[in-house]
Amino acid sequence: MRRAIRTAFVWSLVSIAATATAWAHHSFAAAFDMNKPVTVQGTIVQVRLENPHSWFFLDVKDATGKVERWSFEAGTPSGMVRNGFKPGIIKKGVEVTIKGFHAKDPTQNVGMLRELVMSDGTVYGMFGSQQGPAAQ
Amino acid sequence: MKPRLIGLLLVAAFTIALAWFAPSVRTQTRPGAQAESPSAPASPKPQAEAGGPAPRMADGHPDLSGVWWGGSDIGAARGRGARGGGRGGARGGTPPPTFMSLYKPEAAAKAKTLGDKDDPTLRCVPTAFGTLNVSLWDVGAVGQIVATPKMIVMLTETYHGFRLIPTDGRPHRDDQPPAYRGDSVGRWDGDVFVVDTKNFTDNTWMSAEGRVSQHSDQLHIVERYRRVDANTLEIEATVEDPEVLTGPWTAPKQSLVLAPFDRILSLNCSGIETQALMDAAAKQTGK
Repeated sequence: MRRAIRTAFVWSLVSIAATATAWAHHSFAAAFDMNKPVTVQGTIVQVRLENPHSWFFLDVKDATGKVERWSFEAGTPSGMVRNGFKPGIIKKGVEVTIKGFHAKDPTQNVGMLRELVMSDGTVYGMFGSQQGPAAQ
Repeated sequence: MKPRLIGLLLVAAFTIALAWFAPSVRTQTRPGAQAESPSAPASPKPQAEAGGPAPRMADGHPDLSGVWWGGSDIGAARGRGARGGGRGGARGGTPPPTFMSLYKPEAAAKAKTLGDKDDPTLRCVPTAFGTLNVSLWDVGAVGQIVATPKMIVMLTETYHGFRLIPTDGRPHRDDQPPAYRGDSVGRWDGDVFVVDTKNFTDNTWMSAEGRVSQHSDQLHIVERYRRVDANTLEIEATVEDPEVLTGPWTAPKQSLVLAPFDRILSLNCSGIETQALMDAAAKQTGK
């Protein structure tokens, strides 16, 4: 029985991975390391809703106070807008937390955006969908 | 035996639950989100009654005007109503041939030297093929038709493409340099609008999303647009490219629905970061 539950759990993880892979755009799979999650907190410098993919740029302070520029690639702008991400909703200077996956090139402060969390708890997904207070 | 059976049932239950739940997890779609989109009306509603007859222009031909899509945009749960297209069309059975499956040996050999990072769309160069910007892989899912008696204008959103298609059966123009989307002329065959397109550049691909699908400047596409009813547009296409293909390719039929908004977005494209990232990743992986 325990073995069956363990099998079911493993199958679940495999299914989730397969779903995520199928959903991911080709260049995301090619450019980012899905085994290397990254979370940064910082101040938005620029949001670009552009093709082929949107980008979020933010300044992140490390433990010593040194500021580093990070950028995160998100979904296509049409999808983001039509899924609920209004242009201009995230302004320069806003504090956000971004969770994602690091670029395969470890020398770059670049990631694939999986989740952007606003200070009020609103969460935006990679393609602009949202949940949390602003989504109500 | 019994524990194994329970285990199998658990596996099945988990898998079904995930299949059911996954779309809502990955999209986190919020009811009403589309209604607040700047490109959607406050109360989205179809531009015509579902199932009603196709509207007609003053000259009696079907009016193809409207924003046509697959029923949803990228990243959202798949809308209802759109059919066909996508990943080769038929579900179950033998999948129909793809453009690339008809490559001559030389073209197939060249395709093996290309990869994700070579996809022209990463540099904002559009695909050559895509009925109304709706690619066969459901990407760039919005296109708009503005129909007039003498000209049908097809606008695409993702890479700001347009096609000006005369409807009077005139020949191709001779002053058009080779273009990403070629040169199109049209004619009515009953209620079907037939579009003949050639004079393409050879520096685009047929598909986006890293699917290697190079073609030559001999590419020739014939599309047939039919507004089946008020809310449905069917598109069939035959593609020839004698330089790279062994024979004509029949694209899977696309069936699109009228979007609940009447304007596509104006979107910029700058592939700088994406292309740089792909190049860097390719160096890392040696591909």
